[in-house]
Amino acid sequence: MIERIEKATEIRHWLGDMEADHYYYSSGIAGEKFFVALRDEGQILGAHCAACNLTYVPPRIYCEHCFAELTEYKDMGKRGCVVAFTIAHYDKAGHRLEPPEIFALISFGPCTTPLLHRLGEVEPEKICVGLEVEAVLKPKKDREGKITDILYFRPR
Amino acid sequence: MDLKKIRKDVAVVGAGMTVFARRLQETGKEMSWEAAKMALDEAGLTLKDIDAVVLGSAPDAFDGVHKKGEWLLDGAGGTNKPFMRVYTGGGTAVFAPIAGWWHVASGMFKRVLVVCEEKMSSVQPHAQSAFAHIWDPILDRPLRPNLVWIFAMEMQRYMHKYNVRYEDIALVAVKNKRNAVGHPCAQLADPTITLDDVINSEPMALPVRRLDISPPSDGASAIVLVSEDVVYEHTDSPVWIEGVGWCLDTTMWTNRDLAFPKFLARAAKMAYEMAGIKNPRKEIDFAEPYDPFDYKELQHLEGLLLADPGEAAIMTREGKTQRDGEFPVCPSGGLLGVGNPIAATLGIKIGEVYWQLARKAGPRQVKKDVRTGVAQAWGDLMQFSAVVVMRRR
Ligand SMILES: [Zn+2]
Repeated sequence: MIERIEKATEIRHWLGDMEADHYYYSSGIAGEKFFVALRDEGQILGAHCAACNLTYVPPRIYCEHCFAELTEYKDMGKRGCVVAFTIAHYDKAGHRLEPPEIFALISFGPCTTPLLHRLGEVEPEKICVGLEVEAVLKPKKDREGKITDILYFRPR
Repeated sequence: MDLKKIRKDVAVVGAGMTVFARRLQETGKEMSWEAAKMALDEAGLTLKDIDAVVLGSAPDAFDGVHKKGEWLLDGAGGTNKPFMRVYTGGGTAVFAPIAGWWHVASGMFKRVLVVCEEKMSSVQPHAQSAFAHIWDPILDRPLRPNLVWIFAMEMQRYMHKYNVRYEDIALVAVKNKRNAVGHPCAQLADPTITLDDVINSEPMALPVRRLDISPPSDGASAIVLVSEDVVYEHTDSPVWIEGVGWCLDTTMWTNRDLAFPKFLARAAKMAYEMAGIKNPRKEIDFAEPYDPFDYKELQHLEGLLLADPGEAAIMTREGKTQRDGEFPVCPSGGLLGVGNPIAATLGIKIGEVYWQLARKAGPRQVKKDVRTGVAQAWGDLMQFSAVVVMRRR
């Protein structure tokens, strides 16, 4: 019973799938504003909670700390700095990434929540916490209202 | 929150655990049964003595079967009994025992079986495929993140903020893989591993290297919990659950303090208050913190308030956290040494604290006399912690 069997082919097994093959995910009320502003104006929006002095990027319709309704949207600009980063050598299936992909959390200033995105146009050795970066967007005609309308962030 | 008005004290009287390995042959039910039977045998009980069953297991997507609770029901001994499944990701390993504890502490049940199962080898091509669906579908998934990358960012934030050296973090992997030697269920024990082996292992997502991580596995573990009303029918030296705590941080992982786990500190304070612990560093003798990555052991010791931020790395370098050190940490060998079938790590967290306190840990028994231990697990989208304090009175 406790033998270790390493090779799948040595054991009889059945292949199967879960049958729902796709889902519709909603971007939400605040998400809609964020993606429309990104696509049409090239803006990165946040929503501010005055009571907590905290700006959510991307925006939300409520503050999770005080439950206030958030109605104040603001353009965060394209410039931020790196809070954390990683250099990924393998994808999720275990295949080697060449060149490695670089992910980072980008902060748009004090008392704001960071945004996850990629870094580009950068030497891996030169990345550090605090590195000042700016967003590189797709040309307006190619933008679709998706997070990938931001291509990556690069050092400035 | 009134932590003083618990109705019944609860003790652990048996534990069981299967080998952790890739186990394509057995079903999840069969592994559940194997672990549950071992725990019942150690407690001297049979299934008919059990009033209720709690099952812990991580995402349905691992097995490709929805409603995994009812799917595993019969192997876990839940047929025709009050039964529930709990799931808090990796935190399930300690949270399922907490759910079992409240079944008994409430006074509703006298003898409860808690079974945790995980079979990560079913999902193809890799368990990471299931993890792909834990992310925000609109903000995160289009960027194609994977778990290792996110942990790498957290590890890097921890190192940056508290000035922690990679070499000290890697020593945790060396310690735990060596501690696991002699554990009958271990998948990743290595008696000869060195610091250089870890430092020179392949880069996965820097700073994380292959040997900094505990890979996917299959297995099951179980414990038997009984009320103070009947405990002495089963043992002369019960191991008591003295305090429990749990807490979650925000869903948006980007918005958390990635260097210090505040949610864990809250869970720990809750458990310590219930256990009447005022100075955890003096009153707790050893710890089994969750260690799927080597840096997590350090961060969790700090979140458990057993070290200052950054100090756990120094304790490790000085050898204090070795099995025979002044404060043993992961004497089981942990997830890094024994293996990481998510929820089933109950056996190396709660299970190990129980076996150590009951002096049944065999070759893993810590040398010093231990009376109070703490077990902790971490999970959901890395925002959850559960803490249990156990004691031999
Ligand atoms: Zn607020």
